[in-house]
Amino acid sequence: MSQQSMSPLSPRVKAILEEFQASLEQGISKMGALNDEEIHQTELERIFGKRWNYLAHESEIPNKNDYVLRCIGDDTFIVSRGSDGEIRVMLDVCPHRGASICRAEKGSSSHFQCPYHGWTFKNNGDLVGTPSFKDAYSGLDRKEWGLTQAPRMEIFHGFVFVCLDENAPDLKDSLAGIGWYLDMIFSLQDEGMEVLGDPQRFVIKANWKIAAENFSGDDYHLLTLHKSTYEIGVMQIPLRENMKGYHIQAGNGHGVSFSIDLESKDPLFFYYPEEIVKTFNLDNLTEKQLELARGSRVCVGNIFPNISFLMLPLSPDPKTIPPTPLFTWRVWQPKGKDEIEVWNWFMMYKNTSEEFKRASYRAAMSTFGIAGTFELDDAIPWESITKNAKGSFAKKNMNLNLQMGMEGMGVANQVMDWPFPGTAYYPRYEEGNQRHMYRQYLKEMLAED
Amino acid sequence: MKVPFELYQEGIEFFLHEAELIDTGKFKDWLGLMTDDFSYRIPVRVTREKAAPTEFSDLASHMDETKNTMEIRVLRAYSEYNWAEDPASRTRHFLTNFRAQMDQNAKNEIHFKTNFLLYRGKFDLPTFQFLSGEKHDTIRRVDGEWKLSKRLILLDHATIPMNNLAIFI
Repeated sequence: MSQQSMSPLSPRVKAILEEFQASLEQGISKMGALNDEEIHQTELERIFGKRWNYLAHESEIPNKNDYVLRCIGDDTFIVSRGSDGEIRVMLDVCPHRGASICRAEKGSSSHFQCPYHGWTFKNNGDLVGTPSFKDAYSGLDRKEWGLTQAPRMEIFHGFVFVCLDENAPDLKDSLAGIGWYLDMIFSLQDEGMEVLGDPQRFVIKANWKIAAENFSGDDYHLLTLHKSTYEIGVMQIPLRENMKGYHIQAGNGHGVSFSIDLESKDPLFFYYPEEIVKTFNLDNLTEKQLELARGSRVCVGNIFPNISFLMLPLSPDPKTIPPTPLFTWRVWQPKGKDEIEVWNWFMMYKNTSEEFKRASYRAAMSTFGIAGTFELDDAIPWESITKNAKGSFAKKNMNLNLQMGMEGMGVANQVMDWPFPGTAYYPRYEEGNQRHMYRQYLKEMLAED
Repeated sequence: MKVPFELYQEGIEFFLHEAELIDTGKFKDWLGLMTDDFSYRIPVRVTREKAAPTEFSDLASHMDETKNTMEIRVLRAYSEYNWAEDPASRTRHFLTNFRAQMDQNAKNEIHFKTNFLLYRGKFDLPTFQFLSGEKHDTIRRVDGEWKLSKRLILLDHATIPMNNLAIFI
């Protein structure tokens, strides 16, 4: 597939972004970047068109011929496990006249047929049927007219990632430091993780960067926005205690944050019950990874640009159920300058009992996701930020404060002898992860060809 | 088994009263209408091929509640920090197409299927949202009063057109 050169930045967008870049090191972010059609279009090309995007987990298509339909920005892809067992990602566009060929969000099919003129494709993308071939197409070389395969695909611990830029670095390189932390989480069990059912999907009228910022390292918002979760008892790690921990700028715009007490000698492992910890194969972890995993209470992060995750113990019913570890993994799909579709998967280690998976699902669903007692509140400020960023005056004039933890601001300090990848700060009263995200974002948006 | 007209009428009145309690924000009174073994679930819906037996997920849910967890949600709704619903959404339930069957074993239980349309508006926005779907409810007579023992909500949406479900259906 040919790679066209990038569209030139308009002088207006260039000016906004350069001003943002100039102010970022003083801890100032520009509201004007949060609701702008031209910036959105530029992001689709320069960020989502060049970065690794998450589409599906292998466990969603466990059998031959299984498929799911997924999106990158405004393009739709079929993630299919072929009749040969191989996973492929193909654009859901018939190369004849451009119609969609897939009519369900998930299913099982060896072939896909376009409803318009009947071109038919095997689930590896090969064109195998063109009605009235002799009369209509006797000179056609079918091999040249298969489905368009995603330029790059890599599978990381069962997570299927796609990159639309043939020349992008490998996934491992792109993940930079955050790959080490994800390895730590996903390697705890030999069997790895699996999805617990279909993802929740819902719509927030907010810009994707606001959600990405939040999961990159905004622990500070728990003190106010999520205060109700403390009142009702679903979060049992005390608020201020939970701020003890590390923000890690993991390179390439990725951010990860740990609530942790490295002084503690008790193995915590996110409070997984003993019978689950027994299933962990700690030999899979390096000594350093083990040290971190043992002390971890909460891990939250954002894989730049728009993939966020969270592991922590919460109780769906504090009177009768102890805090249960959960894992949520989500994509903030940009649907426009001011809208995201949330794709929210709950996952758990494969080699755990059905009972534990259900308990973890219940803890997850009751606290995170569309009806989660935590997440219910998040959309409120995210939507108002987006609305405000549309204001002609606000857009031009609002310098937003992103200075927490900078020199002379609060108590956070860089951990000079941080033994793990990335640059770390302690405690979590700190917005360096968000600045790290925007630094990378601006670099990629302003890149010259 | 067909429901005698008088009981059918009592059932409809129960659901209309219940909806009024929700739409007027009387969530604690609403909780009082639930049996102790109350269960409430909204399964995730996924667009499937025609041959698929159901579009509803057996594990994945938007909500899957017991009386205890519903109490926690109601407690949260009255919290000073219920930012999600401050100001509260204006909700209005439209209930219709009531279909009822007596339970085959328990004489004091009726199963209702009801179509609903739920309007949600907020603040001064001229825009609004709708949820549409079907409720599968079981009501049980306990000490002479009807109580809700089970609710399954089958939404007509695969992607929920809302930013949260901080409201009650």
